[in-house]
Amino acid sequence: MSVLRISDLTVDYRLGQGRVRAVDHVSLEIETGEAVGIVGESGCGKTTLGLSVPALLPANASISDGQIVLNGESLIGRSEEEMNHLRWKSVAFVFQGAMNALNPVHRIDKQILEAIQTHEPETSKDEAYARVLELIELVGISPSRAKSYPHEFSGGMRQRAMIAMSLACRPSLLIADEPTTALDVISQAQILALLGELRRQENLSLVMISHDLSAIKKVCDRIVVMYAGVIVESGPTDTVLRRKNGAVTAAHPYTKALMGAHPDLSGERILAPGLSGNPPDLSKPITGCRFAARCPEVMEICRTQTPPTVTISPGHSAACHLAVRSAS
Amino acid sequence: MIPTNETVLSVSDLVVRFESGGRQSKKRTVRAVDGVSFEIVRGEILALVGESGCGKSTIAMAVMRLIKPTSGQIISGGLNLATIRGRALQRARQRIQMIFQDPFGSLDPRQTVMEAVSEPLLIHKVGNSAGERTEMVFDALRMAQLNPPERLSENFPHELSGGQRQRVAIASAMVLSPELVVADEPVSMLDVSARAGILRLMMDLRDRLGVSYLFITHDLATAWVVADRIAVVYLGRIVETGPSEVVVKNPAHPYTQALLNASQDGDTTISAAAVVLKGEAPSAAAVPPGCRFHPRCPKYVELGKPESCRSEDPRLHVIKKGEITRRDHSAACHFTDEVK
Repeated sequence: MSVLRISDLTVDYRLGQGRVRAVDHVSLEIETGEAVGIVGESGCGKTTLGLSVPALLPANASISDGQIVLNGESLIGRSEEEMNHLRWKSVAFVFQGAMNALNPVHRIDKQILEAIQTHEPETSKDEAYARVLELIELVGISPSRAKSYPHEFSGGMRQRAMIAMSLACRPSLLIADEPTTALDVISQAQILALLGELRRQENLSLVMISHDLSAIKKVCDRIVVMYAGVIVESGPTDTVLRRKNGAVTAAHPYTKALMGAHPDLSGERILAPGLSGNPPDLSKPITGCRFAARCPEVMEICRTQTPPTVTISPGHSAACHLAVRSAS
Repeated sequence: MIPTNETVLSVSDLVVRFESGGRQSKKRTVRAVDGVSFEIVRGEILALVGESGCGKSTIAMAVMRLIKPTSGQIISGGLNLATIRGRALQRARQRIQMIFQDPFGSLDPRQTVMEAVSEPLLIHKVGNSAGERTEMVFDALRMAQLNPPERLSENFPHELSGGQRQRVAIASAMVLSPELVVADEPVSMLDVSARAGILRLMMDLRDRLGVSYLFITHDLATAWVVADRIAVVYLGRIVETGPSEVVVKNPAHPYTQALLNASQDGDTTISAAAVVLKGEAPSAAAVPPGCRFHPRCPKYVELGKPESCRSEDPRLHVIKKGEITRRDHSAACHFTDEVK
């Protein structure tokens, strides 16, 4: 059964006179217990897609089309009060740079307790506090540190505390936006391992938004690559991100470029060419493939026709004319 | 250009200490840099790699003399940068430039690209006329692949992408034709697609002009492809150093091995057990006795907690000779022989 089903979701931002279509008819399904990673460079719409689920989009954004179904219930057109009820309990969100979102003047345990009491007023204080200690232990912080203030924690510990807080009301789906970006390698590996453990232990479904492919590879079953508001490739992480002797199985040139952007320690000691230029201006309609202007393998057809999404192998699909060609 | 034997920077026994805490009784000494020595020759890229808080940025600041070292020598151009002051320091700074991590913060939002890149020329009184300086700015912009320079020089930072901004920062570093550029995490704030372009540009400038870099990063994989040599820094000390290929393919120090482990792409799901290092690096205000890495060291546990790790501070020693001394592979661990 799927926890989350997004179909044809379209999100626009009003900007001055114009509007920017940040997410353009995106469909995505997340199964119970599954971990899905969404990648892409800044401005590709990955955070907008994530924020649209708990209805946390900024005021100038609007969902102009599509459906979001969470645990069988549609989320579109819900009142703020109804959404408030669903947030934390059904879907929890860990924001980008969340470790700086802790209140500096309150102790960690109090902040988590407050989250439980706000969303579950029926739970007694003792019961709620027992859960606070349980959560703190779950994310690998010693309960003896529960009464610490945020400044007494390192970045990695603050991020753990934020993850503990997001799990306060036992959500079925956790959306984490760049959970490891501001941390150094060792803390990153620790947080990623923690997310992997939580998924298995708590049967949590996870959406991880990141620009870091190796982070996604370490945690997620499936990867979704976004470019300029659309999904350009998706499939099992092992398939899409496989690298063997310099050969890749990724189908879309954008995915390949992202993979090349970070040197592979087990591969050759070279620096990939990287991408030139910037993503297209989304306030104007785009003809043809959105990636055509930056694509190293661009063809004539790419500039005029939007590529259809084709299935390459079970579960692996890409929206690229090259994939169409090799499929036929 | 391949590295030559002309030394552009020689740092020996560098120590930087900070006093923290207010009242006399609570005062603590933070040993941010605790005896670091290294050398960079013309056309060479040396990467300092380590976790946040290991002291790698403090080393960079000391080399730039943005902070005054507690002791030690920083020799460049025949002068000891650690002790010189005033005009001599200002002149020396012309030969060492810096690129910062955040191109959004390092550029003044009210300055055009022209103003930003020509400012170093005005400060150091380089160029005889405004026309000559303009030409020098255009050259620097072209060098940083900001084309056409005539048009781009009129832009303000907010009109540029992150990658372009970092190119402006590189242009203002290069406009004085420095011998050494200190680059502190120059790509970590940039979008993935822009990173390779900036690193390639830096390497290209080295090849064409023979500029040397002290490249500070937390990312071993990037250090591996960009740098000629890597020095791994832990709690204010270099714990391993050698040619990049050697350090990455045959890491000798357990800390380097842990860093590598954490940076591997790996095969999908990892478990908590696969993360070798538990906990956080200790504070530089309370450096553990003996080997500073022993409280987190997997090797220490594996070897049955040997006494020497707790009592003796291991010195950086050669474990494999290079073709020249500078390219020796060295590590500061009592048990490097057992570590393969």
